[in-house]
Amino acid sequence: MLRLVLVLFSLFFVGCSEHLVRVMPYEKEYFSQDKMSLSPLGERAEQEGHIYLIREASAGGESAFQGGCGCR
Amino acid sequence: MSLKYLLISIASLLLLEVTSLASSLKDSMSFGINTYNDNADVQVYSPTLSLFKKVSHQWMIGVKMRIDTISAASIRNGANAGHVDAVTAASSTEDALYDDIRYAPTLMATYDDGENMLSFGAYYSTEIDYTGKAVFANYVRQLNEQNTAIGIGFSQSFDKWHPVYDRALPKDYRNERKIDLSINQLISPTFSMQAVYSYMYSEGFLSSPYHYVLQNNIAKFENYPDIRVGNAFALKGVYLFNDANAMNFSYRYYFDDWDITSHTINIEELHDFSSQFTSGIRFRYYTQTESNFVKDIGDYSLSDEYFATDYRMSAFNSYTIGVPFIYKKSNGDRVSASIDYYQTTDNDYVKSWYGVNSISAVFTTLSYEFDY
Repeated sequence: MLRLVLVLFSLFFVGCSEHLVRVMPYEKEYFSQDKMSLSPLGERAEQEGHIYLIREASAGGESAFQGGCGCR
Repeated sequence: MSLKYLLISIASLLLLEVTSLASSLKDSMSFGINTYNDNADVQVYSPTLSLFKKVSHQWMIGVKMRIDTISAASIRNGANAGHVDAVTAASSTEDALYDDIRYAPTLMATYDDGENMLSFGAYYSTEIDYTGKAVFANYVRQLNEQNTAIGIGFSQSFDKWHPVYDRALPKDYRNERKIDLSINQLISPTFSMQAVYSYMYSEGFLSSPYHYVLQNNIAKFENYPDIRVGNAFALKGVYLFNDANAMNFSYRYYFDDWDITSHTINIEELHDFSSQFTSGIRFRYYTQTESNFVKDIGDYSLSDEYFATDYRMSAFNSYTIGVPFIYKKSNGDRVSASIDYYQTTDNDYVKSWYGVNSISAVFTTLSYEFDY
């Protein structure tokens, strides 16, 4: 599975991105706003990431590091 | 031209490009407090502090500190006051022994030249029965005139169990490796998306040293397989409806070799009430299947290889509903806060271990961030 994803990732990396839609720099003003962030509250994201690791059996999909603890 | 000169030339060109790009690093600091309270008698209060300092135009070092002060009756006897633990012989008079403080510092360094960002660091945590150590690194490359960002992250932990009573664990460690691949893409001036794939490998003692099966003539500590491989795919997006309203959404699919699969959906609407104050509402739904070794309560036999009483190895759903707050002062300082209510569906193992039908929890965050 990891190999398949790595291959797809590499294909994207070597040039596919050049063919995607481009948003010009002067059109990016909205992305500087808090509400347009994929993680608008960083502290909450960190806190709930830890809680869900303790209270549920799934992980991942966050592209962020979560340290281990004995409560898991 | 020899290979050596060719490599030097390429490196020089890269260096030239790198040093000409802008860095977005800033000296910044934040402090706050997070709380967690649930109906299984777990209360956690966590002061947090982070400090980031630029040491050059493109390098920054930082430290984050989190202290968890934990009161957790459930660690002892499943929150059954007065019930003597038949396996550990712990009793309700030993309450104070299990109250715990966890110190978790993280040291990190970041390089950012505007097109390449590399972060790496080390994490350490210590509590009464567990020591966590980890290293991590994350690299993000901006492409396509900063419309696309590709990231790769890696972390490896080397954790150690030391139970509060004299129990020889089959393995006293838990090592976890995680690889994340991510792609961010701007779709339009008001819409961006991110895809993330995570690969997770865990090895060692993966259950709790305190949970046990107690039924008929069986008294056994939990025992799980000592290797677990998990995969997660997540798709996230943020869309601006109009100047004042935006919606965040995400979906995650998880599966592992213990046959646990899960689906997670998160939706958050944020509204600008003024140029300084933003708030909204979020909803999260989670559902998971059971592991391939958990059995119904009462169905275990002495010939079983694996034993599980932790409800997380069984099937259940959960819901989270919450309200976020962001306040930006005119000088750029930022106060953020959130309050969330978490609820699982009814579960036999929750009832058996904690004495309640389901887990209900409230967690909050409060943080003040500023540049200096």
